[in-house]
Amino acid sequence: MRRPKLVDLVIRNFVRKPATIQYPREKTPVEEDSRGVQYADLTKCTGCTLCALECPADAIKMTPIPQSYETPAKNPRKIYPLIDYTKCVFCYRCVKICPVNAYIVTSKYDIAGHTRFSSEEYSLSTLKRVSK
Amino acid sequence: MGVSKVVEIPVVTAEIPIGPQHPALHEPVLLKVYADGEEVIKVEVNTGYNHRGIEKLCEKNTYYRDIFIVGRVCGICNAVHANCYVRALEYLLDTKLNNRARYLRVLAMELERIHSHMIINAVMAEIVGFDTLFMQIMLDRERVMKAKEILTGNRVLADYMIVGGVRRDIDEIKRERIRDLLLRLKPRVEYYKKVFEEDETIVKRLVGVGVLKPADITSHSLVGPVARGSGVRIDSRASDKYDAYDEIPFNVITRKEGDSWARMMVRWDETLESINMCLYVLEKLPADGNPVPDERRLPRVIPPGESYARVEAQRGELTYYVMSDGKSTNPYRVKIRTPSFNNIINSAFMYVGLSLADVPVALTSLDPCISCMERVTVIDLEKNTKYKLTLRELAGGKA
Repeated sequence: MRRPKLVDLVIRNFVRKPATIQYPREKTPVEEDSRGVQYADLTKCTGCTLCALECPADAIKMTPIPQSYETPAKNPRKIYPLIDYTKCVFCYRCVKICPVNAYIVTSKYDIAGHTRFSSEEYSLSTLKRVSK
Repeated sequence: MGVSKVVEIPVVTAEIPIGPQHPALHEPVLLKVYADGEEVIKVEVNTGYNHRGIEKLCEKNTYYRDIFIVGRVCGICNAVHANCYVRALEYLLDTKLNNRARYLRVLAMELERIHSHMIINAVMAEIVGFDTLFMQIMLDRERVMKAKEILTGNRVLADYMIVGGVRRDIDEIKRERIRDLLLRLKPRVEYYKKVFEEDETIVKRLVGVGVLKPADITSHSLVGPVARGSGVRIDSRASDKYDAYDEIPFNVITRKEGDSWARMMVRWDETLESINMCLYVLEKLPADGNPVPDERRLPRVIPPGESYARVEAQRGELTYYVMSDGKSTNPYRVKIRTPSFNNIINSAFMYVGLSLADVPVALTSLDPCISCMERVTVIDLEKNTKYKLTLRELAGGKA
């Protein structure tokens, strides 16, 4: 009987370190420009709603900016795109369609969790809080 | 001692369902197998477990949202789906692409072909019970997934096609990295091809299983590597020469055997051919302008008319029919015909005569993609009449 062809490979792999990445204890390496979490920079956003209209997954909802934040004058309707990342398919149509290039892109991908995860915190962090 | 009396025992045909949930199947399809002992005497293919109404969804969304929706018809062949739909729109708009965009499209589609062919060969190794080989192929497949991530920004869902070009350009560093990954992948693919040729486990399970004659292929409209595995030389890339396939040299791989093994070998040879094509594209990538159009300036309304585009997906010929009424921002009709639709539903005759254990092998050799093929099917049993609908009637929804 012939020697099975894969035996050499199997023996070599015994002494190699494992190829499996122990996620989430160890992060999977991704490209810096891979499509991860994106959110609107509210200092640039004009509240035009184009991204919400163009989103193929209907993940973007225009939401009023809370009164405790300073709203830029260029946003007369005082609304911003709130992205529901549990619905988002990360196609970046919103990023490309934005007329004022307001979107900030990241390569963050580990967003799985128990609760709904949205861009509220990220987007509002780009604005100043009104001091009372 | 002679036989004095022969007693005939009536054989009861056993009806064995394989699927929709079955360890050997990765997607929901029901093969209702009628078996006489171990021998299969009839197979009924039952589909409809994964229907999502994609075509209707396309009619309810704008032309540009549809590019991303059709990419979700199938995860593994998303770039070809998007390419076919986008080309159908480009035919209506009469858009001309620059050479760099055409080459980059081919690169994305060929990278996808490499990883698709590798995964089905890995799945085949798993089906025959050779899990070590499955793990090895999947490990090496990660290289091409990485190459795809570098090119498009995502491992699986590329979202790379847009009307008038592609959505991302590559620079010199990325080009070198993709080339490096492919050069490291090539000897591994050659090695796996050798394993599939020589390993006893693989050869014993695959050779002579599910033989399709060239006459069966043409009479049942089977496409893709299934047809090429039986010596029928059909390939839309070679016949249509869309995108940059007219400038990139490649061979159409065919084999004469027509069994499961021949289909898998066609896939390995095509993988090697695709790696060579990708290397050619990376070497000869033209620099005649920006391949990335400004998505904000694309026309909102498409001129009225119908267009029909076809593309050689990994599993065979994939066609898109798009109809525009010229008034709305939504398409009037989008009709998709995927290769698995032909290959799975029309091939029930292939299983007759096989043993029960060979049915999953024969099915896997067709590279089933169930989520691709599940769309609407209307059958009128009451009238019991046969007549063919023209494309125009099909698009308008009127008989």
